[in-house]
Amino acid sequence: MRRTRTGPRDVSREPEPRQPGRVLDARLHLLDRQVLDVDGMPVCTLDDLELEAVDGRSAVDERIDGSVPVVITDLLTGPVLGTRVFGGRPPASRWHRLPWAHVVDIGTAVRLSVRSGDLDATWLERWTRDHIIGRIPGGNHDPESSG
Amino acid sequence: MIASDLLDVPVHDEAGAHLGWVVDLRFVLDGAPDTFLARARLHALVVSPRTRTSFMGFERSSVRHPWPVAPILRWWHRGTFLVHWPDVARVPDPDAGAGPEDTAAIVLRAEFTAYEPGL
Amino acid sequence: MKSRLLTVALGILTAIGGFLDAGDLVTNAVVGSRFGLSLAWVVLVGVVGICVFAHMSGKVAAVSGRATFEVIRERLGPTTAGLNLAASLAVTVLTLVAEVGGIALALQLASSVDHRLWVPVAALAVWLVLWRVKFNLMENVTGLLGLTLVGFAVAVFLLGPDWGDLAAQLVPQVPVQESAAVYWYFAVALFGAAMTPYEVFFFSSGGVEDGWTVKDLASSRLNVMVGFPLGGLLSVSIAACAAIVLLPAGIQVDSMSQLTLPIAEAGGTLLVAVVIVGLVAATFGAALETALSTGYTLSQYLGWSWGKFRRPARAPRFHLAMILALVVAVGVLMTNVDPIAVTEYSVVFSAVALPLTYLPILVVANDPEYMGEHVNGRFMNVLGTVYLFILVVAALAAIPLMIVTEAGG
Repeated sequence: MRRTRTGPRDVSREPEPRQPGRVLDARLHLLDRQVLDVDGMPVCTLDDLELEAVDGRSAVDERIDGSVPVVITDLLTGPVLGTRVFGGRPPASRWHRLPWAHVVDIGTAVRLSVRSGDLDATWLERWTRDHIIGRIPGGNHDPESSG
Repeated sequence: MIASDLLDVPVHDEAGAHLGWVVDLRFVLDGAPDTFLARARLHALVVSPRTRTSFMGFERSSVRHPWPVAPILRWWHRGTFLVHWPDVARVPDPDAGAGPEDTAAIVLRAEFTAYEPGL
Repeated sequence: MKSRLLTVALGILTAIGGFLDAGDLVTNAVVGSRFGLSLAWVVLVGVVGICVFAHMSGKVAAVSGRATFEVIRERLGPTTAGLNLAASLAVTVLTLVAEVGGIALALQLASSVDHRLWVPVAALAVWLVLWRVKFNLMENVTGLLGLTLVGFAVAVFLLGPDWGDLAAQLVPQVPVQESAAVYWYFAVALFGAAMTPYEVFFFSSGGVEDGWTVKDLASSRLNVMVGFPLGGLLSVSIAACAAIVLLPAGIQVDSMSQLTLPIAEAGGTLLVAVVIVGLVAATFGAALETALSTGYTLSQYLGWSWGKFRRPARAPRFHLAMILALVVAVGVLMTNVDPIAVTEYSVVFSAVALPLTYLPILVVANDPEYMGEHVNGRFMNVLGTVYLFILVVAALAAIPLMIVTEAGG
């Protein structure tokens, strides 16, 4: 840890003005929460957030800094998890995006307005169902309460 | 840009002095109303001077329990402050990889203001 | 209307997996035959501890709908939670290996066909229950049949021991023929078994499976208050049987079949039959609990759909994870390792998993955003913090003790 002998300098802090909307901290309220679909089916865990400038500039073309307002455009899941654990960065083409416009509610879980089955993020779930689990007898039936 | 491009990154002032690390990103839902929720605007960076790990966020909440876990973590993160996004002068290029320390840091404007981080 | 007994089945099944799985059954008898009841106090300490944290995890599940590993991932972040996931899966799968091996050994006792031939059969039987049987039927049947282990408590009375002598053994002390390191190794092992992390994964996920809401908080509490003390009582009964019969005879326990020696002396063939039903049910129940916990932890960490309340096609990766865990268990058993000995090494992984599991539970149980008005009271917080401290000390002590004593040898 980089630290001077006298310890870190504490900057003087001013009171934060009241904000005009709901305040969310990424790590405390968004990242690593369970994402549920419109029926309450688990979709994925929220692994990362994609941020872009409001005027449409994307981070790939131009450097973004404090001079332009930035918003969350998508929730990300899938291989981006590896980057949070091990570092590095997967190509943007392999991110699974869930648009912010589909987010209905943020509580102890993040709820979407769409069905899990319609999302790219759950392709592996469908693949497993279609090629393995769905082919085993009984896989498409509710569990029995007798027998 | 993705959230992890900013999280855990060192923060320097304009002169290059080390101020701490980004431990969290603060969003405010005050943008144009999207379909269900307002757009989430990146409002500020939460900067901790002592540690790059954000742990449980006790320094930002009013939760004081369980003792002594909460007070210890709150003490460990003492001095944590907010920097509003417009006070950020430069963000490292996420594709540049690990460069020299000064280019891999977020640099603040000369006249930045530190705010209290409480939620 | 559900009867009172069936509403506590989840707690009983969870406790069976913690206190009475194949490894613990043998450990309890070993402890009784070597230390008498001088380690019974550890079981009491463990029962209180698991009650505290199972209560919190059940409360979080009932109030917020979030099971324990979702909470761990959310509070610790992907890296630390991933470390916990790896350690917890190791503990859980090692126990699953022991349980499948245990079922096969029981079938060998009944049939005199080699147990390796029974291993795939046992795994298939476990899988069929996971695949087709409803959660509440599963918990009710295994919970009720596991109760026949009460035969051990009955046997203690039938053996008619000198009660004053037995009570005198309850004082914590290192027997003259044993070293202090071995005593403390078994103390840590018993404590770790009582608080093994898959119990809270299973209990909280089971609460979600049973559809618990805020209205079911009383039911959650009842499950905790009945299940774990009962598990602890049976675990002490096994040790007591061994202390009464095997300790004076100088018999060292090294296999499951010796568990029934005191039972045969006390109650004859009938009681042995009853207890064997209990042993099979407990082992089978623990196999179900650990297999399900494998699916729960992995699914909750990665955000997959999970739960037996869904048909398998609606939770495919959850079911695939459990199938793979059973395949691994069969593969390990085919190498002819001693399944019970394998569980001794889970102590190492528990040392990592225990603090990283119980700290987030304690923190979230205090978070008003999750719990609203149901946040922990002062009493639960004091107990939780004390136990967190004990867990860290036990976790730090476990590995050196295991090395010094060669796993209690």
